[in-house]
Amino acid sequence: MLERRGAGMRHDRHLRHALIDWFPQARVRAARIAVVGAGAVGNEVVKNLALLGAGAIDVFDFDRVELHNLTRAVFLREADVGAPKASALAARAAEVDPAVRVTAVEGDFWDTLPLAALAGYDCAVAAVDNFEARVRLNRMCRIAGVDFVSAGIDSRLASLEAFPFASNPDCACYECHLPESAYQRIAARYSCGGLRRVAAAERLVPTTAITASVAGALAASAALRLGRDAGDGARRVLFDTIGGGASVAALARRAGCAGCGDLGERPRVLAARAAWRERIAAIADDVAVQTSDPLIVGYACARCGDRSRAGQYVLRRARDFDDRIAICAACGEPAVRIDIRDEFTAAELVRLYPDRPPPAKFAIARAGDGALCLDFETDDQRPQQPQRRPE
Amino acid sequence: MANELTQLKLHVRTADQTRRAELALAPDATGAEIIQAAVDNWALPADTDYALVNVTTGKALAPDATLAASGVRPGDELEVQPVLVAGCKSA
Ligand SMILES: [Zn+2]
Ligand SMILES: [Zn+2]
Repeated sequence: MLERRGAGMRHDRHLRHALIDWFPQARVRAARIAVVGAGAVGNEVVKNLALLGAGAIDVFDFDRVELHNLTRAVFLREADVGAPKASALAARAAEVDPAVRVTAVEGDFWDTLPLAALAGYDCAVAAVDNFEARVRLNRMCRIAGVDFVSAGIDSRLASLEAFPFASNPDCACYECHLPESAYQRIAARYSCGGLRRVAAAERLVPTTAITASVAGALAASAALRLGRDAGDGARRVLFDTIGGGASVAALARRAGCAGCGDLGERPRVLAARAAWRERIAAIADDVAVQTSDPLIVGYACARCGDRSRAGQYVLRRARDFDDRIAICAACGEPAVRIDIRDEFTAAELVRLYPDRPPPAKFAIARAGDGALCLDFETDDQRPQQPQRRPE
Repeated sequence: MANELTQLKLHVRTADQTRRAELALAPDATGAEIIQAAVDNWALPADTDYALVNVTTGKALAPDATLAASGVRPGDELEVQPVLVAGCKSA
């Protein structure tokens, strides 16, 4: 009995949960949840997960705390202004329950969370302020077969979308119901098909602690699948915090969806960083391969023909640069023609990248009636930890 | 006359239920067209993205699908919902 004392004390804290006949405390205690976004909603998601006794919570955010965050983010304080959001949140959330492991991962999740590491989570929650990050995380979760939960707010409404990919790989994905206008908003962040736009204006959506707390509660519940069973499909809940009304909608999978249309039921994921040539050689030359990141494959000035700087950009990831590289170094005109693509044949990729994989997160190839995913961040099939930024 | 017979009489509302209307729509109208009409007629914020849910059946309508393809029936109530992200960075 004595050696179990630590666990027993932990258990005592959640004794009241045991009175709820459907509450899966053991499953909650074993749960590993990735929370992407450490703003108002992310704080509320982590708060609820920690209070419920979730096993491990990893918080991903690249941003720093600003004064205006303090009116909605339960764990952030004035002393945190200027500090990385993820670390500030994780440090204080860890105080809620010493048995709950809360870890901060600073940086863009696209750069810090490999597919193989994502596969180790029970759920990833999107609490980020833009469509693009949601689209990316959705696709990663769909490929990895990990539940995806997306939470959103404005000044009055809280929304929750749940995609139970782990048990229902064929369910709708986040993009199946994403309106065209959201894609236009994503496209507005880029020029030339992949370069970051220097002066991309972000829209301002005012929110309050009320909607953030409702969305965070709904998201935490969905992330742990509280009261839900494995037969669930994708759904959206929209809650009106003033009127009290809510609507629940089933989300059906859409043929031709940009997020899941080419993925079949569940793609086979192969580690392809070290074994790049071996993996790509197994794919027929003429098979179409889509890279997760648009790549620069051509760079030449359309006005004067100069391509002296091509070596700096060609074969690299487009989003590592902004649209200022379209200004020609020789003639000074914004006339550089930059060829950016994310669709290749297998043979083209080998020709362009003979000895290392493309600088992308992963690539998708059609394989029979399913899909094959080459994971460029993983050397072998051992699960990876999220990559912490070097100190 | 034939055209009128084939029109669907539907209720449309906003998510906060402050706006409601009864509309007669052709079965080949798309969700996107209904959303655009709601934004125009009710002066909803134009810089917001919207989705459409059939609250009678509890099913979301795919953005590009027609009412007929989405299985919308006469008398159904459709809700125009903003597609939300978690707020936004302060300007
Ligand atoms: Zn989809
Ligand atoms: Zn030039």
